[in-house]
Amino acid sequence: MDLTRRKLLKMGMLSVCGTMIPLGALEIFKPEALASSLVHPYSQKKRWAFVVDTTKCVGCGMCVKTCKLENEIPFDAEVQRTWIERYVLTKKGDVLIDSPHGDRYGFTKNDPEGHDLKDEDTLKGFFVPKLCNHCEKPSCVQVCPVGATYKTDDGVVLVDRKWCIGCGYCITNCPYFARFFHPVFNTAEKCTFCYHRISKGLKSACVDACAFGVRKIGMLNDPDSEVFKIITTQRTAVLKPEFGNEPHVFYLGLDHIVR
Amino acid sequence: MNHAWRPLILIVGLAAVLLTVRMFLVPSDFMAKNGDYKYQWHRVGNEKFWRDEFTVKHKGREFCKQCHEDKIELVADSGHARVQCENCHVMFNPEKKGHPVDLKADFGYLLDIGIDRSRELCKRCHSKLPYRPKEFTSLTKGIKPFNMIDPQEHNPGEECVDCHDVHRTGFK
Repeated sequence: MDLTRRKLLKMGMLSVCGTMIPLGALEIFKPEALASSLVHPYSQKKRWAFVVDTTKCVGCGMCVKTCKLENEIPFDAEVQRTWIERYVLTKKGDVLIDSPHGDRYGFTKNDPEGHDLKDEDTLKGFFVPKLCNHCEKPSCVQVCPVGATYKTDDGVVLVDRKWCIGCGYCITNCPYFARFFHPVFNTAEKCTFCYHRISKGLKSACVDACAFGVRKIGMLNDPDSEVFKIITTQRTAVLKPEFGNEPHVFYLGLDHIVR
Repeated sequence: MNHAWRPLILIVGLAAVLLTVRMFLVPSDFMAKNGDYKYQWHRVGNEKFWRDEFTVKHKGREFCKQCHEDKIELVADSGHARVQCENCHVMFNPEKKGHPVDLKADFGYLLDIGIDRSRELCKRCHSKLPYRPKEFTSLTKGIKPFNMIDPQEHNPGEECVDCHDVHRTGFK
């Protein structure tokens, strides 16, 4: 065998270089992988998502009222599936945040946190509607010890009232404080995106009730849905992204004082 | 039989009893859907409850249109075009409820319908707050200034509907 030193080094270097090419780099030789980025720029997976345009919200609370009645949450109980928070920045530099009764009776006075604020003392203010974020990685679901809460195939997080033992782990584990105990069933309760309505082609009750076009629901990957159009063309933000839950309620006009 | 075997038999027996009891208690549709034990470990039948068995209560304009077509047309042409009938007419305080037709018995409509003439209802949107949006952008006709009043100064004590026609959004 005529294996010279030169040949050995040459072949050695070649095989070292060959092993260094990552497998992922070979993807470009697959025609279907190439085509997929051209034909389907977005995934075809069905996934519900929500958009909240905070710049339009007037804080009338019709969504909260409608939600409570639609979803059989006792009206006078101090728990709600959706609520509106008011953020007011005063000229002194104080940030006042309140949501009296979850805003089911509407904001009718300039009295954040009970302070009787004069109009000229407010620097800026706005309303932020909140609801369950139906996370892609819901931390509330992970901690359920009995499998009573789950994520459906289309991304909605639900609670099995018959299976829930009422331990409250999920309530303390939601970074958005979107869960509570149902005062009648004594089980964990949360927003369902009105799963009974959206599955029938209707809109969620709060979306229907909003006269100002603040709330929008739709399929995340459906190019005809308003949600898709907003997320793909405008600057949206999510609440508390640092928790890594991948929330699916997208906000327009979110300020840094919102928590 | 030696002292090591007896507890072992006991343990195996207990495990067998536990597994048998579990077989009867856990429903057959309780599983990890798509093999996802993290997020989809649940009773699959419960999805049906939320999807189909939970009733739709707010039925929207189309439901009211069956009898009140005139009012629907009037509102559709006004500044309140985007306001649902149910926003103002569904009552959470039962003393104000009342509808000439028994909606629950005849139409299977589950909410309490009534007329609320209080200022509180109108104030939810129309009381003046410095941080409320100044423009109303959801009408198809275009952007309009949003009408807000100071309830302390604007005819206190009077009912809004004494002067305003809320269906037409004009004066009476």
